[in-house]
Amino acid sequence: MLFIAAPLAVILVSLLIGRYPVDIGTVVNVVFCRITMQSCNIEDIYQTVVWDIRLPRAILGAMVGGCLAISGAAFQGLFRNPLVSSGILGVSSGAGFGAALAIILFHRVAAIYTLAFVFGILAVVLSYIISRVYNGTPTIMLVLGGVIVSSVFSALLSLAKYLADPLNELPAIVFWLMGSLASARYSDIYIAGIPMLIGVSGLMLIRWRINVLSMGDREAHSLGINTSLNKAIVIGCATLATAGAVCVSGIIGWVGLVIPHIGRMLVGNDNRILIPASFSLGAAFLVIVDDFGRILTGSEIPLGILTAIIGGPFFVYLLKKTKGGGW
Amino acid sequence: MALLEVKEVYFKYPQATILENISFHIEPGEVFCLLGPNGCGKTTLLDCILGWLKPYSGQILFNGCPIQDMSAPQIARQVAYVPQIHEKTFPYLVRDIVIMGRASFIGPFDTPSAEDWAIAEKALDMVGIYRLKDRPYTQLSGGEGQLVMVARALAQNSPLVVMDEPTAHLDYRHELMILETVVELVKQTGLAVLMATHVPNHGYYFENQGIRTQAALVKNKQIMALGKPSEVLSEQNLGQLYHIKTRIIDCQLDGEALLKQVVPISTIDHRSS
Repeated sequence: MLFIAAPLAVILVSLLIGRYPVDIGTVVNVVFCRITMQSCNIEDIYQTVVWDIRLPRAILGAMVGGCLAISGAAFQGLFRNPLVSSGILGVSSGAGFGAALAIILFHRVAAIYTLAFVFGILAVVLSYIISRVYNGTPTIMLVLGGVIVSSVFSALLSLAKYLADPLNELPAIVFWLMGSLASARYSDIYIAGIPMLIGVSGLMLIRWRINVLSMGDREAHSLGINTSLNKAIVIGCATLATAGAVCVSGIIGWVGLVIPHIGRMLVGNDNRILIPASFSLGAAFLVIVDDFGRILTGSEIPLGILTAIIGGPFFVYLLKKTKGGGW
Repeated sequence: MALLEVKEVYFKYPQATILENISFHIEPGEVFCLLGPNGCGKTTLLDCILGWLKPYSGQILFNGCPIQDMSAPQIARQVAYVPQIHEKTFPYLVRDIVIMGRASFIGPFDTPSAEDWAIAEKALDMVGIYRLKDRPYTQLSGGEGQLVMVARALAQNSPLVVMDEPTAHLDYRHELMILETVVELVKQTGLAVLMATHVPNHGYYFENQGIRTQAALVKNKQIMALGKPSEVLSEQNLGQLYHIKTRIIDCQLDGEALLKQVVPISTIDHRSS
């Protein structure tokens, strides 16, 4: 229950926060009117700020944070390695290059989303193909494939930056790579929401199997599961969720690595609980960080910067408090 | 029809042959000890039986059903596995580990049912570590950890359990604990156990306990001798297998049967070889 309530509460609170002052009564009224489809006599400006600007941004933030964290948790289990994050198979590097390409070639937001998503998926598919040198997909080869693909796409991204027009395109690429939710609209939620929803639902359904997969291929096989198929499902779902998140938000580091750890400290390592907890924590965390990004300074601070600056000390605090949670 | 029948199995890697013409069978309620020097192919043979590796030729049959026709869950319902070394990654609780034995009965998008949890708890009880069920298994001693693996295998409810050197890293007492647990399980439940081991006395131990026991000595890719421990684990065979001098000694326990044991004396020409 808390896992559902916490992100919702955070989203509601974030409706109050921003440069244009809206008091809590107005927020509650706007949300109530809109949900019950009643017309209400609140000034349009309030309705726009709360319902059309802050709410989609908070919802998208929650979805992006949740997706990055849940994929990170799933990959950590799959790769049997707590240092793995949602970008391990190259999805972020691929998406980064795709976005840069779109900025240079097309100058359109829709193209950025599309190419970022497509190249994010493409990177993971390439990593997967590289890993299939033997029968099956040995974990170590997957990681190696991810490293190779990531570095190739990073190089291509640098090339794109090098070739970009330094006055308009280069800043656009750099800002995209820092991650932001500033342009969030409902249409983003609907479009990017589809892969995110599919990915998250898949991971939620298969979450107990991730425990079994984390025993290693040979043991998982002897316990009676088809390791190649199950791994492919987990990778596919985590990739859909991450690519869907990254293509609308840009590169947001840290969440996919550290939120699962915070989850491990709070609820333990059983993926039955850890997977939903990671989603919930990631969602709440990113919305909060985004709120800080909006109010800390006059102009917005990009999300990718703040996640680490706020998340780092918080993580250290948790480490001290829980004594590492069994590691 | 035997529980497990291995017929003329060959295993080859592109550069090397690992196993040649391996044949044996295991019945319920039986312990089968697989002995042989390091690198003789014991683990490869176990991997073939677990369906993890495919033999080059020959057949592996569970109750007459060829292993290549069986899916991973079907194999898991016939044979469970206790690994030699279990690499611990995340500090799962003991009960979370044991419940994984139920994986072949649980759909890909399901989680364990109350019945599965009951079976897992019974398995923990059978190996005598029920009290540890809520502990992180990374904090257990080597012996306790190995018992968790045994419990996980039991939760699988398979008629055969394959153990790859299950006592390799254990102290004297815990080694005996594992052996006693195996004896108890075989006697009580009619389980069959296929155990790779480096200790010839394990064969004698099971025989001394009155369990039907076979020992197979693997040398140069082949089974060199197969039969009851008292027949196969002779001074001569062990000399050939390990290049060591041994003596087989008997001792009479009060009121009980004769206890046979292998006592190592010395290696044979290890400097020249």
